[in-house]
Amino acid sequence: MEIRRTVEEINEKIERGDAVVVTAEEMTEIVKSKGVHVAAREVDVVTTGTFGAMCSSGVFINFGHTDPPIKMDRVTLNGVEAYHGNAAVDVYLGATKMHPEKMFEYGGGHVIEDLVSGREIEVVASGFQTDCYPRKSVRTTITIDDLNQAILCNPRNGYQRYNAASNGRDELIYTYMGKLLPNYGNATFSGSGELNPLTNDPDYETIGVGTRIFLGGGIGYVTGPGTQHDPVNGFGTLMVQGDLKRMSPRFLRGGSFTNYGTTLYVGLGIPIPVLNEGIAEKTGISDEEIKTNLLDYGVPRRSRPILKQTDYAELKSGKIVFRDRSIHVSSLSSLKMAREVASTLKRWIEEGTFLLTNPQERLPLQGTMKPMKVVEETLFARHIMAPAVTCHPDEDLDTIAARIIEEKVNHVVVVTPEKKLRGIITSFDITKAVALKEKDLSKVMTHQVITASPDEPIESCAKKMQKHDISALPVTDIDGIVIGIVTSERISRLFGEYR
Amino acid sequence: MKVHLSFDRERTTKPIISTIILSTGVQINILRAKVDEAGGEVLVEIPDAEAEMVMDAFRSMGVKVHVGRHVEILRERCIDCGHCITICPVEAIYAESDLTVKLNQEKCVDCGACIDSCPTRAIRVMQ
Repeated sequence: MEIRRTVEEINEKIERGDAVVVTAEEMTEIVKSKGVHVAAREVDVVTTGTFGAMCSSGVFINFGHTDPPIKMDRVTLNGVEAYHGNAAVDVYLGATKMHPEKMFEYGGGHVIEDLVSGREIEVVASGFQTDCYPRKSVRTTITIDDLNQAILCNPRNGYQRYNAASNGRDELIYTYMGKLLPNYGNATFSGSGELNPLTNDPDYETIGVGTRIFLGGGIGYVTGPGTQHDPVNGFGTLMVQGDLKRMSPRFLRGGSFTNYGTTLYVGLGIPIPVLNEGIAEKTGISDEEIKTNLLDYGVPRRSRPILKQTDYAELKSGKIVFRDRSIHVSSLSSLKMAREVASTLKRWIEEGTFLLTNPQERLPLQGTMKPMKVVEETLFARHIMAPAVTCHPDEDLDTIAARIIEEKVNHVVVVTPEKKLRGIITSFDITKAVALKEKDLSKVMTHQVITASPDEPIESCAKKMQKHDISALPVTDIDGIVIGIVTSERISRLFGEYR
Repeated sequence: MKVHLSFDRERTTKPIISTIILSTGVQINILRAKVDEAGGEVLVEIPDAEAEMVMDAFRSMGVKVHVGRHVEILRERCIDCGHCITICPVEAIYAESDLTVKLNQEKCVDCGACIDSCPTRAIRVMQ
């Protein structure tokens, strides 16, 4: 006989204390060992959980009014600027806003952690003086208990799955996917795989507007689809909110990504009522079935090259095989904490303190995730590169010096007859060679050359040159063939012409 | 035991370590060495039995000796994400079966590469 039950029936069981609740990891095992039918008959609720860096997080705060009252204009909390474009004493503090001096070490996410921990926060506000709000500034110290409201409000949480990241560049990079070692030296990923909320309800049959959830150790609600909700491609998201005053610092943690920014780690858990066998089957999903792509974050473009398809089982194993090499891979989110979220929610339901809800409206099965419309032309290395003046590794320095004069350049790229990059020599290197009476090209040229790819944005080329204190980047294609050169002179000329 | 040696600028070019290895006959294992404008920093491992004698030898040649400085994971800040595991060049960081992230002090060479990878700043150099 087919199993069917309603949320109301499940809630009655929860109140009686005899609902059967399992975590999504446990459900995967049950479906595997006993089959979908038995799993559907035995289990009433599956709890999910995730604990990751959720950059879209923030908190709406109402401070209450001072006397005389102030219409806040600029507001900082522990030095971190909050957005004030609302009513007189309402602000929104975003997780990624960095402290102007402490930068990655302290930002909005950390202020939220400090608030929820009950620590004192210094508030400094300047006012826009009006007849009804005469006060021009206020400086005070508050804790979360002094606030009228503190509402965690996250426009995009709970990504269904996420890309994994590695780095094909020959230099270390710092990204929002963490510290990525050169030449695919490591890889990172995000998300809890088979524990993830939306992955267990991929058709949004039970999760919708109004669904009661575990949020930051307290109670929250799904208020709608999140921004960039893209269910067709398996990247659904949720917008959620909840009362920060009832949350816990165990499940809300400020985060720092070096050279990138700050964020907030959020614990999010959603109960899935097993209404029928179809839902039981979907909650039985295993890590092997959840596919995602390993992308090259060394390419600073919107579309990053796919290095390989992988799945959460491989990602969670700690090693990923790429180009016959086994590289270390780790999560940036915490699987251990995700398990704690799912098991805490399970306990709440078993204890009868958390009841399930019917969604008021289903999440859309279609979404919009398109690039930003940009009307200005965007320039890449291939647009501004010049033909490279080259020489061969066996040419003598006098010939190269003559070519520098003749071609009026400062850089000569050393290439093989097949145009493969071997080095670079500058007019300064030649001067140095003359001073030191050195005749051998290979002793004065640079062998480890910093290069650009043709599709690299010019901002990224400029940053590379500044970082390495150099003034030109040979442009090479995927096979290492030199196809041009980007110089700082060309970039400055470009900006000179614009302004 | 692991011992940090600090060389000032004048001493960075002198063969101090090899001199001490030859004069004491102790096998000193160099775990990590770095030289910059401020001078040199070397982490060495010295057999416990000879450690005091070797450290005295370094001190007598003007090298500053520090013991006890090490990298540590602060449990109350760590969220066990494991990012540091992929960064560690000597595989000193690992996850236990319950996913708790641990640091093996025996293997750690105090290079500090993990420190700025930690999103909750749970890794510190302890003095």
